[in-house]
Order: sequence, then C-alpha cells, then structure tokens
Amino acid sequence: MINYQPKDIAGKLAKAFLKNPLTAILGATLIILGYISLMVMPREEDPQIAISGGAVIVPIPGATAAEVEKVIVNPLERKLREIKGIKHIYGMAMDNVGIVNVVYKIGERREDANLKLYDKVMQNMNKMPKGTMQPLVKPFDIDIDIPIVTVAFYPKDGSKANYEEMYRTIRALQQKINAIDNVAKTTLKGAHKPQFNVEVDMGKLSAYNLSMGQIMKAIQSVAVDVPDVKGRTKDNKLIIFGVKNAIENVDDVKNIIVAQYMGSPIYLRDVAKIERGIDYQNFKDAYLDMREGKAKGDKEKPNRGKFIPQKEQVTLTIAKLAGTNAVFVAKDVEKVLEEHKAELAKKGIGYVITRDYGERANEAVNELMQHLMFTILIIAIMLIFALGFKESLIVTFSVPAILAITLFIAYITGQTINRITLFAFLLSLGLLVDAAIIVIENIHRHLHAHDADKKDMEVLLVEATDEIGAPTNVATLAIILTMVPMAFVGGMMGSFMKPIPLNVPVALIASLFVAYIFTPYLGLKLLKKPKHKHSHHKKHENKESK
Amino acid sequence: MLEKLVYNILNSKTKKFLVIVLTLVALVLSVLMIPADLVKARMLPGKSANTFSVYVDTPTGSSKEQTKKVSQCVIDILKKEKEITDMELYVGDGIPLDYAGLVKGAGMKNSENVAEIAVNLTNKHTRKEKSFVMVSRLRPTIKASCEPLVKGTVIKLIEQPAGPPTLASIVVEVTGDDLNKLQELSHEVAKVLKRTKKVVDVDIMSDDPYKKYELIPNKDKIARSGLSVEQVNKIIYLAFEGMVVAHKNSKNEAGQIGIFLTLEPNSKRFDTRSLEALKNKLSSMNLMNKKGMLVSLTEVVDIKEVNAKPMIMHKDLRRMINVIAETDNESQVYPLLAARDDMIKHFKKLGYKVEKEPGISTYMFDLHLTDPKTGKKYLLRWDGEMKVTLDTFRDLGAAFIGALILIFLLLVVYYKSFALSGIVLAGSFLSIIGVIVGHWVADLVTTDTFFLTATSLIGFIALMGISSRNSLLLIDFAKSLMEAKGMEKKRAIATASATRAKPIALTAVAIILGSALLASDPVFGGLGVALISGTVAAVFVSLIFVPVLMDNSKAMDIDDENPIHHDPNDISITR
Repeated sequence: MINYQPKDIAGKLAKAFLKNPLTAILGATLIILGYISLMVMPREEDPQIAISGGAVIVPIPGATAAEVEKVIVNPLERKLREIKGIKHIYGMAMDNVGIVNVVYKIGERREDANLKLYDKVMQNMNKMPKGTMQPLVKPFDIDIDIPIVTVAFYPKDGSKANYEEMYRTIRALQQKINAIDNVAKTTLKGAHKPQFNVEVDMGKLSAYNLSMGQIMKAIQSVAVDVPDVKGRTKDNKLIIFGVKNAIENVDDVKNIIVAQYMGSPIYLRDVAKIERGIDYQNFKDAYLDMREGKAKGDKEKPNRGKFIPQKEQVTLTIAKLAGTNAVFVAKDVEKVLEEHKAELAKKGIGYVITRDYGERANEAVNELMQHLMFTILIIAIMLIFALGFKESLIVTFSVPAILAITLFIAYITGQTINRITLFAFLLSLGLLVDAAIIVIENIHRHLHAHDADKKDMEVLLVEATDEIGAPTNVATLAIILTMVPMAFVGGMMGSFMKPIPLNVPVALIASLFVAYIFTPYLGLKLLKKPKHKHSHHKKHENKESK
Repeated sequence: MLEKLVYNILNSKTKKFLVIVLTLVALVLSVLMIPADLVKARMLPGKSANTFSVYVDTPTGSSKEQTKKVSQCVIDILKKEKEITDMELYVGDGIPLDYAGLVKGAGMKNSENVAEIAVNLTNKHTRKEKSFVMVSRLRPTIKASCEPLVKGTVIKLIEQPAGPPTLASIVVEVTGDDLNKLQELSHEVAKVLKRTKKVVDVDIMSDDPYKKYELIPNKDKIARSGLSVEQVNKIIYLAFEGMVVAHKNSKNEAGQIGIFLTLEPNSKRFDTRSLEALKNKLSSMNLMNKKGMLVSLTEVVDIKEVNAKPMIMHKDLRRMINVIAETDNESQVYPLLAARDDMIKHFKKLGYKVEKEPGISTYMFDLHLTDPKTGKKYLLRWDGEMKVTLDTFRDLGAAFIGALILIFLLLVVYYKSFALSGIVLAGSFLSIIGVIVGHWVADLVTTDTFFLTATSLIGFIALMGISSRNSLLLIDFAKSLMEAKGMEKKRAIATASATRAKPIALTAVAIILGSALLASDPVFGGLGVALISGTVAAVFVSLIFVPVLMDNSKAMDIDDENPIHHDPNDISITR
C-alpha cells in the first residue's frame, strides 16, 4: 500500500489509480469512446443557430396596398405583439395580400415559438376582415429549409429540356431520394409540370360569336371526376361502376364541343390551338453553365476545359433532418444518384451536383483535425527539448485522452462537430497541456531531488502530484471562470460561438483529471529514478525536507 | 540574469516608477491605435469560400426576358474566369436557400424581375485568389457592363458570411409616417451611401414606381348589359394571364395534369405599351351576357393610367423603408461612420433639423430628422451588421467584465487580500497591449486588412485566465520563499520571477504553438493573433511589471496582519 496521505483531490486521484489495473483499461476505453464519437457525431460546417420565426400570409383579393395595411397588417401586427419572446415584427402590405413576418429572440424553442404563433392567429380568426381568405402560417425551419445537397439535371444533347420527360423521371427519383434515411424536404426548382395548353384565337372566337367564358364552362363540364358508384342487385350483391374521366389525352381535349353553330358542333380545336406542353405560366426557369471538367465529374480539376453551351435545367434540392450527419446524408444521396446514372443517361438526362455541404463539412472538419494533430506534434517536440523524451510522451498521450473525453461529452449532450467546436479544441489545446506539464515537471523534479532514493517510487509520484494540486486547481478554475460569462452572450453571435464556452471548460476539467490520474500512472510505467545524484537542486532542499 | 534585472529595478525607486509609467504609456498608446484606425475593428472578416452568388434585381414590373438578359450578361463576364467551374441561373426565383439568403429574403423571391446566380469555384485550397478578393475585383466590371442593360437594375454580389448572416453589412431603416416622404428620404440616403467610399451594392428595398393601367368596371353598365363584375374580372384574367380551369388525375403521370386556358400569344400581344393599344385589344374581347348576347369589354370598363402602389413595409409596427448596402472587402464600421457624417451635412443642407441619438446604446448612431415645414419626425436607424457588431461587442464586453469579477472573487477567496487580487487582475488586463499591437503587426504583414474581430475579444477573455495564472503562481512562489526560507522581500520577488520564468515561458510557448495554426484561419485568425501576442505581452508583464506591483504592495509583507496563509508545501511548484 502507498504510505502517503494525500491532502488534495489531485493526490487522492493519483493514489487511487496508480496501482489499479483498470487504469490502463480506462485510458483505452476513453480513447476508443472519443474515436467513436468523432466518427458518428453529426458533422456540419457551421453550428446550428436556432432562429425561430414565421410568416403569416393573409390574402385579401382586390384590396390595394393601403387598404391591406389598415385592415390586415396593422391589426395583425398588434395581435402578434402580444406574443412573448418576439424580437421583431416585419409587416408587408401589398396589393391583394398582407404578410407579417415575426422573428423570435435567439434561443427561443422552435416548437414553442411555432405553436405560439399559430395559436395567436387561430384565436383571432373571428376578427379577420370580411373577404379575406384562409391565412397561412408558415414557420421558418433552417434545418429543413437549407438544402445540403443540390443536383442539377440537364438534357445531355442540345440545350432545350424536354420538361415532360424530365419532370416525370426526376419526380420518380425524388421519391427515391426522399426515402433515404434522415432526408427531410426535397424540392424541385425550375421544374415545369406537364399540362394541356389551350390557346384561344381571339379572331376565331369573334367569328363564331363565342366568349372565353363559354369555352371555360365547356372544358369544366367535361373534365369531371366522379367517385365510383355502388349499386345493389336483387340478391343484395354490390355492383360497382365508375364514370371514366372523359379526358385522357390531348385529342379528348381537342374534341370538346364548345357550342353548336348553324346546327353543326364547334369543337375546341376549331377556335384554339391545343397541345400537351408545360406550365409556361410558371415563370420560374433555371439554366446551367458549366465547364467540361465539371460535366465529366472531374473532381480534381472541375474548371478544366471550356464552358459548354448553356442548358435548361431542373434542380433537385435535398435538406436533412435536424441533428443528423450531413456527411452521411450527402453520401447516401450520391449513391442513389450513381445507381440511376445509367437509367438517366438512357433518357438523355445528365446531372451534376451543384452543392454538397456534406463534403464541405467533412473537409472543414478533417482539415481542422489535421491542424489539431499537427499542433499536438509541435508541442510534443517542444516538450522533448524542455523536459525529455519520456516526459514528453506522457504529456502527448494526455492530449488525445482529454480531447476524447471532451468529444464524448459533447456527443452525449447532443452537440455536433463543426468548425467552432474544433476551434474550441484548438483554443483549449494550449491550455490543457498545462496541467500535465505541471504534474510531470514536479515528478521530474522530485525524481532528481536529494531524497529521491529514500522514497518509494509510488509515494514519490503521489506526493509530487498532490503537492501541486491546490494551485493548479485554482489556476484552472480561473481560466474556466473566464469562459463562463461567454455562455451568456446573446444574439446570433452568442449562438454561433456557443461551442467555445460549452467545450473549453469541459476540456479543462478533463485535463485536470487526466493529469492527476494518468500522468502519475504513466510515470510509474515509464520513468525511472536517476542512478546518479544531482547536486544542482540546492535551492529546493528546504522544501523537500518535511 | 533576470533575477539581477528584477532586483535592480526593485531596488531603485526611479526605475520602478519608470516601469509603471512605461507600461501605462504602452497601454494608452496601444488603446489609442483603435480610434486612430491603425487597428480596424470588424465583427468577422471575410471568409474564402468555394461559392458566391449574384442577385439580379431589375426594376419592379420588368419581364423575365429582360431579367434573363441582364443575368446572361453577368454569366458571360463570369465565364471568362478560370476558377469558376459552373453557374446556375434561376430566373424568377432564388437559388436553393443558403445561409446568406436566409436573412436576405432569397426564399421569398417570386416575381419576374428577380434572378439569382449560384457561382461555384474551384477548391479554395488549390485556388490562389480568395473568393472575397475575386468578388471585389469582379464587382465593378459586372456592374458597369450589365446594369445599364435595363435601367434601374441593381446587381449584388453576395459572399458567404463568415459568421452569422445579416440582411446586409449596412442597413439604414428610414422610419416615419408619411409614405411619400419616406420614399424621398430613402433615395437621399441611398444617394449619400452611393458616394461613400468602399460602399457598394446600394439598394432601396421598396418597389420602384412604375406605370400601370387600371380597369375600372362600370357597375352601372355591367348591370344593364346583363353581366356581373366577377365575370368581367375573371375573363380579363383568363384571357391575358390564363388559368388552370380543370384538372385531370391520371395513373400514368407524376401528378395532376391541369388544363390551362388562355388566349393564344398573338392574340394577347399588345402593339405598344400605351393606353391606346390596351383599348384596341380590349375592344376586340367579347363577353357573353345572360341572354346570350356578346358585349365588348371596352363598353363596360373605363381605363385609366395610374402609378402602381408600392408595397408598404413595417418594422415593429412602424412604417419603414430599408436602404441596404455592402462594403467592399472592408469593415462596415468606417464607411458607415463616414456616411453618417455625410448624411448629417446632407440633410442639414436639405433643411432638416438633424439630431443624434443621445446616450450610449447599440442604437447610438441613429439620426433623428425633423421636417421644419410639417414638423414631422423621421428616424434613420442603422441596422444590419453594425447592430449585430455593436450587440456582440457589448455582450462580449459584458462577458469580459463578468470574467474579471469572477477571477477577482476567486483570488480574494484564495489570497484573502484585495490588494494581491488587484495586482493579478491588473497584470492580466495589460495583455490587451499585446493583443492590439499584435493585430497591428498582423495587419502589416498580411496583404488583406487584418481586423480586430469578435474572435479577438474571445481570445482576450481567455488570455485573462492564462495571464492571471502566471501572476498567481509567481505570487505564491515569492510568498513561499519569504515564509519558508525567510528571504528578504525584494530578493524573494526577484528570485521568484527568475525561477518562474522557465515554466511561464514553457506554457507560453505551448499556447503560442497551439495558436499558430489558428492565426492563419480567416475567421479565427483574430483569436490566434490575440492569444499569441497577448501571451508574449503577458510573459513580460508577469515577469517585470507584476514584481514591481508586488514590491509596492503591503499585502506581500509578512507580519501579524498577514500570517502565513497556507501550507508552503502547496505552492512549491517547480524549481
């Protein structure tokens, strides 16, 4: 048994773990846990900032902007003002529609915020002016709204897209991508839906003495869907029959009879041009310009070659669920696309990935991990010169152990790995080797002291650790205290920086424990008492003699 | 050697005085570097990214063909850039939402006069030119050649924000009651911003005035011709805009298929943009009344040319028009202050009474205008990145003071002496000299402006803890020498600072090496530089300045009032 009564927590920890066989297993477990956390923790480039808010859209057809302001925007703003936690209210009064956007203070829980907004609007539905249509409450949702991957689909030959075909193919693909784990919202941008376009010639219309209204009615009266009808037989069996929609293809539309003229029917095709086309009233178009390198999927040099002629395109945007790993989701999406590449090519459709936040996040995280490793190496080399090889090795081991603990704690508290988390690590790196340096230096000094030979190695290690416990604790506490107020910084920047006050104190506390537990333990395994006597430690003699 | 130096200083009153004076002079000089613009402050510097976007806004009422034409011009210029791999143009719509677009309202874009281009660049590691430098270089070319294509067009080049996104670097909210006056004032504000140096992409966030024609249904005539107002409205819309009048579900299709009814393009094309052309066209349109007779549209509506009513914007229940602008690779603080001075002069010249916002708050740059003729008041409020910057610096400043108080309390608990705690605190505060000078040096050696940022402040706060630890260990060591060995005070302090020099330097080198890679990062460079230069300053402060203060402090003396405060064994840390 170690014959020394430690006074400080430092010595107590050192004593408890010094001869314990589980210490090595604990160390290994910590590092493995840290490594697993590093691998499975959701990665993203920037930390998530919880911005809550939403828009209330109230259409009121026929009202001018000034009217909308008075009857919709002003009263609605006053009502929404009653909600607690709202930071700003933005009102927009336009012809025919009033929009009120609310932005909550940062840190307001999203679910509560949305509910409060919805609640307030619904409570006051009876106060809506006459003539308004059902108000729309649309909460913002960053995770779901910001796509992490966007893919542009384009026609391989020529520049004009066959939207009909493309729409059908991409829609089917969208369904498959949506089925991937953790994919949230997917949207199509620049897509045009198929529709039957009926373009009426005004001259012919007046020639047949017809009006637009008549044509509209004629179409509506034919294109009806009726549910199946059930009838019963005499012996109570069901007979089911349905009326088929009269319009199946473009010819059916052409052959709609609009009116009778001089006893003969006038067909729709007589007064209008009818075709199956795209919804050209939707003015949103998307185009794509890219270099040959990008089109060929050259990852190294996507800027190789000339720009190929501009193409019409449809962009599929893919967002992920909150708190999931952007890297994994992006990879899965890429895999699904790859599987369908040949099929798409057969239909003459090519695709390029135009945004990949997963890759960006992975790159940012990996780059910073390299920085971290490199920094640890530099510090280790410096310590070899200052303290010696074995001592340096012990300190160098303590760094991954501390980072592993911090990572694991960050993982179980639901944080993600992002740029700021890693900067918190880099920031704490200079601080957290300190505890280990102080302990190892004191051990080093004790080993070379005059009375080292008289003492047991174990006692010496525990004593050396215990001795510096109190001031190291206070010094570390001082640094932790500087980080505490930072956690209360508000606003966007506060949320953005939050990983620093969250992780640096954890890393510092971990550094104390690692220094007190593993430094003496490794010291026992690696360090030996020097054979020869040192004589240049006179200064400290007084302190060694208790 | 250090021991001798410190001992010499401590033994001479003039030298001690000199050390204190020099330190204070250094402090004052370094702090003065901020108002002297030698070190520039900014919330976060530009960040080199692999992408940027271009927003094209043609005037309200422009067609998508016009918008496409301007966008195409931008794309043609960008095609000459070697580092651009691909571009996606979205007409009438925003690019897929990103961080920048989130607060700039990109998701709300839904009209023919807007377009956005997503520009993807090669990997930033292999690319020489930083994206924000590239944007800054391209901006004048693009604006000069493409904006004139459609008069009133505004083209903005949007960079990815390094930190939290804001509406724009510079946002002026023109607030008041009179709508017309607000329009007028916002144009004046935009004029001033446009002539301010380094301010680019000025845009007034309100609809541009444009002419439109109003068809006023003549209720009397409509009723007499056996029609209804609803019918008239619907038919006009149907004819020119078109409507999906029926749907068809199909098992073979991806979704419902609509039957879209409208006039044939040739039938609905107007000859010119004039009242006459509109009248001509409408006269050939017929409506059928209940009796089955056709009535010409022009017979039942009156046509008038009017100015389109612009959208009315509110913020926090007040009418407001935003004027936004970006800064060209520069902190928004300095152009903003220049613009503000110019505005005060400009509005005074226009006859307004201009008052500054009294007191210090995050709205302290606001201007109050009073129209002398009507007595109405208007407010020019600075929002955007400036507000966020002020809020952040205020919060971080408060966090800093909080950290000071917490450390002070901790030290008082540990030492049971206010004087000693004060010394430690003063010592750690002085690392600000290093932080500011470090930024100045960093600015000198880098090609881009190196800003004092929010991350620098975070670094400074962290430094407080680090340098207070240095002083703490120094005081502990000196005390233990005096108590246990009975050394004379001055000699003990000198010995302590000499022997502590190695471990202090060792930890300092660890911090400097640890932060060296940080310093090269655009966003966290401030933190890295603050840590490196602050640590260097902290080493000097704790080895020379703190000993002087210790010597002057009575709390260091050992007498009956200051008994040995704890076991000397606790504090013999290193040799």
